[in-house]
Amino acid sequence: MSATLLSVADLHISFGGVRVLQGVNLTVDRLEIRGLIGPNGAGKTTLLNAICGMYRPQQGSIQLDGVSVIGHKPSDIAQLGLGRTFQTSQLFKGMTVLENLMTGLHRQTVTGFLSAGFCLRRGRDEEMRTEEEARRALHFVGMSEFADRPATALSFGQQRVVEIARTLIGDPKIVLLDEPAVGLSINRLAELDALLRRIRDQKGVTLILIEHVIRLVMDVCDRVTVLSSGRVIADGAPDSVRNDQAVIEAYLGKELRARHSAS
Amino acid sequence: MLLFSYLLMSGVTTGALYALVALGIVVVNKATGVINFAQGEFFMFTGFVGWMLHVQFGMNYPLSFLLAVAVGFVLGMLTDRIAFRPIAKSDIVSLVLATVGIGFILKGLARVIWGGKADYLSFPPITSPDPIMVGPVMVIPQQLAVLAGTVIIMLVFAAFFRLTRAGKMMQATADNSRAALLVGIRTDRIYTLAFGTGAAIAAAAAVLTAPLTLLYPDIGFAFFLKGFAAAVLGGLTSLPGAVLGGLIVGVAESLAGGYIHSSVMELSPFLVIMVVLVLRPSGLLSFRKARRI
Amino acid sequence: MPFGRRNVLLALLAIGVIVPAFANGYQLFVCNLVAIYILLAIGLNILVGYAGQLAFANAAMFGIGAYATGLLQVHLGWPFWAAFPSGGLIAAAVGTLLALPALRMSGLYLALSTLAFAQATQWVFLHWENVTFGAGGFKTPPLSFAPLPVDKPVGLYYLSLVLVVLLYFFGRHVVTSRIGRAFVAVRDSEVAAESLGIDLLRYKALAFGISGFYAGVAGGLYSALLNFVAPEGYDLFQMIIQKSTIVVGGLGSIAGSVIGASIIILVLELLREVKGMQEIAFGALLVGFVLFMRGGLITVLRRYVRGWEEPLRMTPRDPTGALPQSEARPSAADK
Repeated sequence: MSATLLSVADLHISFGGVRVLQGVNLTVDRLEIRGLIGPNGAGKTTLLNAICGMYRPQQGSIQLDGVSVIGHKPSDIAQLGLGRTFQTSQLFKGMTVLENLMTGLHRQTVTGFLSAGFCLRRGRDEEMRTEEEARRALHFVGMSEFADRPATALSFGQQRVVEIARTLIGDPKIVLLDEPAVGLSINRLAELDALLRRIRDQKGVTLILIEHVIRLVMDVCDRVTVLSSGRVIADGAPDSVRNDQAVIEAYLGKELRARHSAS
Repeated sequence: MLLFSYLLMSGVTTGALYALVALGIVVVNKATGVINFAQGEFFMFTGFVGWMLHVQFGMNYPLSFLLAVAVGFVLGMLTDRIAFRPIAKSDIVSLVLATVGIGFILKGLARVIWGGKADYLSFPPITSPDPIMVGPVMVIPQQLAVLAGTVIIMLVFAAFFRLTRAGKMMQATADNSRAALLVGIRTDRIYTLAFGTGAAIAAAAAVLTAPLTLLYPDIGFAFFLKGFAAAVLGGLTSLPGAVLGGLIVGVAESLAGGYIHSSVMELSPFLVIMVVLVLRPSGLLSFRKARRI
Repeated sequence: MPFGRRNVLLALLAIGVIVPAFANGYQLFVCNLVAIYILLAIGLNILVGYAGQLAFANAAMFGIGAYATGLLQVHLGWPFWAAFPSGGLIAAAVGTLLALPALRMSGLYLALSTLAFAQATQWVFLHWENVTFGAGGFKTPPLSFAPLPVDKPVGLYYLSLVLVVLLYFFGRHVVTSRIGRAFVAVRDSEVAAESLGIDLLRYKALAFGISGFYAGVAGGLYSALLNFVAPEGYDLFQMIIQKSTIVVGGLGSIAGSVIGASIIILVLELLREVKGMQEIAFGALLVGFVLFMRGGLITVLRRYVRGWEEPLRMTPRDPTGALPQSEARPSAADK
């Protein structure tokens, strides 16, 4: 088993002539928490969507655990062990929290519509197991008492956490988190920080974290990749990235850099 | 050659009418992002109104035409107030079902007021019904009248969008409703205006068509489907595209009807919609909103 | 003792079983019609209410079931008992194929393309005269329940009732399983559904297929009820009747489909003299419910009848009939 879980090489994507990704390289090791940062419009979410199979790149390769995912449907790539969350809440609004989590187990379960419809024993047993496991997952993120609430009744931060739990329950190898900290208070941020570490340490899941809350990224990530205008401009440990001239320039612009170095 | 020219001429005429129905669909869709499923029933209902004014009340044709268009405009505005504005922010299922409901109410009203299913009302021709020869082409004068009327309506319509303040505001709202709201355009009024305008065009089309065909309560749906096919061909948000689409559907249908079998005419909208929507979805990217993730 | 969903439905079923004992011929006909529309409503609700696919082809599926059942008997001499299930399966197959456009478009465009499909089906019924007998329609062979001591109307009524019970439970079990949750996932967020490994085409096709099957079975029963099949029974007006059943009963509720179908058929029969009034009534029902009671009548029951909730999972059987409280309460402590 190689140490590399995800490798993206020379990825190019453009939409109607706008070149959003221009030769991105990214290698993520097993059990790593990788930060992916960059100014707005740098192409972070596009990169995520390409890995998930929502966009087809014009050029380049994406390998998940040694398997090329390009050209596969998003649902098939999910089957390979790739989970993700979204910038805006994508909980299923017509379901309770528990049902949302149970849906996360879809790819681990096999009951077909006939055995479900005729209520065969196999299907019933699997349904019970699904519910148990969903309750366990809810317990893991500390939200057991919300099991029977409608998904829409949760606060913003709680929806985020449920979404993460829903992805985790499917036992993915790697989870891509798209701005999980948006709108969280300081206290909630600390909880998220701890949760991400627990996901890695206890569940053995590799994480890629797109985030604007730099504090969280610097604190929790093992390595940080900086994207700007569709290219990787820095890649390394949080501290080395923080002081990288190209990064400061991309974020702050040239003038500020001058002031930054003067001070 | 005589058959071909005749078919071509009648294809262009009906195509022009489809184009009008399509314009009504496009105007509403451009402004609101919704397809008004009652559009066909606006056409049917205002056609009956025109018939009532002209035949029953003995008004002259131009006055009946104008009044029917006014009735159409009011109907459209009412539809916006009743079935669009209160639920504008809800899911597409509700939006579609609400206009479908309005359509059926109109259809039922027409059946109750003007007659049962078997009743086909004829509208007296406003010109001589005998065909005349224009060079090698056989033309029914009424067709020429319809065609002329359609062209005039289209020109008025284009002028409205290009030249008037309301038209420009509609254009701005269609391009970016949020920005339009920010610069002070009352977008909800624009939506009302769009529904009203769409219905008014349907009314104009109906009263123009009436002398060429028979009126019956179920006529609306066929025109709606064909108008929609035309609008889809044109990309669903383009006004010139709707006109071109209408002509294509009309001519194709007329030629297929003449050379293959008259029953094939009814299939044409289905074929057009399916071919464009299913086989060439890439051609529709202009109106498919990108998935926001 | 809460008067839960199960008890209400059992009471309804008991009434359903004894109806033939006191109903006259017309009343039995109407009850049979209600049974047929319950099947239609459940199938349509699975497609529109659960899977969120706004399709307008259900009346066409209904017609395909009726025509297939009738024509297999008339042209090939099949007995009803072979033609009828085949009709259901044929409608299911056509429905599944209809899911192909649904993969590429959603919302308005799906609605319109299925509407166009429905129109094309009408065209085939009308113009493929060698097979379908055109606009005049055709009579189906008389149906007999020979070894059983019941005449045709009563036999057909009980056949319909049995199918309603079976397919009601089938539908409920499907929507309370991972399949139903996948449907709702596709409805609520396609991108999230895909990210969880739910194949959109597969589940859209399944929803279309299941709803086609329900409509096809209903169509077979309808052809036997009328002894007659003609194109106009399966037109746009039919579509609006069926749409009204699920909007009035409640989108995303199997039990709501039962209520909606019963009410709509009553309205239909009360206004049977005047088609225009029927159209006005159904149009007004659609608009009214969309505007003022989005969830349908079922929302009223959910609010006032304890134990009416319809979860998307099998709830553990609880002898008291009360809702299962969340068992994991203690875990709140470790927050």
